[in-house]
Amino acid sequence: MNPTRHYNATSSLERKLTGIRNLHSWLLSAPSLIWLVLFFTLPYLIIIIYSLLVPDIYEVKFVFSLNAYKEILSGTYFKPIFLALRLALMTTLLCLLLGYPVAYFIARSQEKIKNILIVLIIIPFWTNFIIRIFSWRIFLSSHGVMNEVLLGLNLISQPLEIIRTDWAVIIVMVYVYLPYMILPLYSVIEKLDFTLLDAANDLGASDRTAFFRITLPLSREGIFAGSLLVFIPALGAYIVPQLMGNQNSLYIGQIITYKIKNIPRNWPIASALSLLILVCIAVILLAGFYIYQKRRIRKVDEAR
Amino acid sequence: MEEIRIEHLTKSFDGFIAVNDVSLVIQPGELFSFLGPSGCGKTTLLRMIAGFETPLTGRILLGNHDITQLPPYKRQVNTIFQNYSLFPHMTVFENVAFALRIRKLPQSEIDSRVREMLQLVKMEDQASKYPNTISGGQKQRVAIARALINKPKVLLLDEPLAALDLKLRQHMLIELMNIHDAVGITFIYVTHDQSEAMSISDRVAVMNHGNIIQSSPADDIYERPNSIFSAYFIGETNLLSAEVTSIEENYVGLKCYSGPGESFEIDSTFHFRPEIGQKLTVSLRPEKIGLSRTKPRNQDDFNIIRGVIEDILYVGTHTQYIVKVGNLKFRVFNQHKRVYFDDAAPDWEEPVWLFWHDTDSWLIDEEAPAGMDAGDLNVFERPIQMSRGMKRSQKQE
Repeated sequence: MNPTRHYNATSSLERKLTGIRNLHSWLLSAPSLIWLVLFFTLPYLIIIIYSLLVPDIYEVKFVFSLNAYKEILSGTYFKPIFLALRLALMTTLLCLLLGYPVAYFIARSQEKIKNILIVLIIIPFWTNFIIRIFSWRIFLSSHGVMNEVLLGLNLISQPLEIIRTDWAVIIVMVYVYLPYMILPLYSVIEKLDFTLLDAANDLGASDRTAFFRITLPLSREGIFAGSLLVFIPALGAYIVPQLMGNQNSLYIGQIITYKIKNIPRNWPIASALSLLILVCIAVILLAGFYIYQKRRIRKVDEAR
Repeated sequence: MEEIRIEHLTKSFDGFIAVNDVSLVIQPGELFSFLGPSGCGKTTLLRMIAGFETPLTGRILLGNHDITQLPPYKRQVNTIFQNYSLFPHMTVFENVAFALRIRKLPQSEIDSRVREMLQLVKMEDQASKYPNTISGGQKQRVAIARALINKPKVLLLDEPLAALDLKLRQHMLIELMNIHDAVGITFIYVTHDQSEAMSISDRVAVMNHGNIIQSSPADDIYERPNSIFSAYFIGETNLLSAEVTSIEENYVGLKCYSGPGESFEIDSTFHFRPEIGQKLTVSLRPEKIGLSRTKPRNQDDFNIIRGVIEDILYVGTHTQYIVKVGNLKFRVFNQHKRVYFDDAAPDWEEPVWLFWHDTDSWLIDEEAPAGMDAGDLNVFERPIQMSRGMKRSQKQE
């Protein structure tokens, strides 16, 4: 048999098979693709269009304008954006610092206890979000449980004025988002091969060094996932700052809401600000990804 | 070069005694193996030497230094782990360099020493690969390089070849011996594979239930087992329950029980002085027994008994015969100088003669457990009974 013909025959068969496989994967991913286009891409297109229009009392005038963007560039909204970035960053960092030891502890617990602890982490979700935040208001208020106890113990002479400060916002944000940090961290640490720590110890690394050189780098994906799950929603946070914060430090999420809620409404500026949040997240994500990739490449180079 | 001295080491987990009052000296530069069934305490012993477990009592000395309480990272002892435990987020180079990075050595020194190590294990062209992209044998080499780079005084190997296939295992075994010769430090090797332990080691310690049963060179353990456990665990053997009937200058006369009220007489040389009437166990290796259709000419120093072939297993290098003598089932290995003895294929149920020299049997100063038949060693499937037997034998020593 002619070897070339034989080769051609297989390759054409292979091409057909690949075609069928491609069709299969398209069909399988169709539902989620349609869902994404309908409820993600289209809404964003609408937001982009609205950001380029002129506001009216209730709706918009369909006239092209860049006024919304000019207003943003004028600096009026720099403070709420800065506040939101600071809040998101602090929340992420605190969640990481508080969540990592918890995730580590759960991952290293016995099989039976593990599941109980995971359920305990999830249980707060069963109570309504707003109710949980309101109970924090009561707990932190001037005559709330916390202040009464501290006063009663003579640890403080004046009630601590935490409620309606940026600190109150951060405390509750950390409380709300902590599980989103713990769960991805747990799933990564749980898969970690702990004999690697024995190996590191054996090679001269103290427990501390082994943690920083082995455990931490190997849980990087969990840190990344957890940080995203906390940072992204925290950047646009509305309810927590609204219920725990004060009118002097408004966050970007609150501003967007006011622009739509209060009359005269300003859809274009609200849309433009929403897009700004999106851009912030995209920039931070890409930067993080870029650093991650670069470090990996550099390490390979070093080894050569 | 320093010796390792283990003194009265005991370790228990939740009341289960894993290592029971073990004392031992391992010579500098020795290749020493711990061999035993799973759960015999060999890995626990190794982990105590490495520093991952703290003993309940006893001491471990490296030269003159008591290292019992030192954490693993302060001991000049390195380990090769069962599944290699290479760091997945580091390249081969970085894995090997790890110990030097911890010590913050200058980059130039790290480079040259890592290169040197990778050359030793023939992995210099794989330095930039990640562990999940190399084969099992290559991972093994990286693990060896990583453990040796810190110039430890002792290298511990925890079942290092268990994850490799047979051919690669044999190859790596020779390589390990070469590396041992090249670096000249003490290797302590833990395995449940007796052929590995026997072929690689200067000395082998046979372990069971947390005790060292026997520690001697491989040929000693095989030819001169000190206990029923050693004889049974290493290689294959026929164990006969016997009673001493006469004592001559060079041999003893023995009555071997082959069933209720049945027995046959044999002679055997001895290495300890038994008493008349004493019950003991005879170990007779299957390859030392001859098999014949015609009765061998009567010679004074040969034992000749009659049996019936029950099973024939052809295994290439030799054929295994199961021969029934009374209730006993003798294992006999017949090597293929000729495929079949007397040039004709033996048949099932065929009566044959078994014969062996007086010096081929080995006496064990230990009474055989009740119900033990030659070849039918299911008494050893009951470990509790075995452990009682072991304790009795230890008291006698």
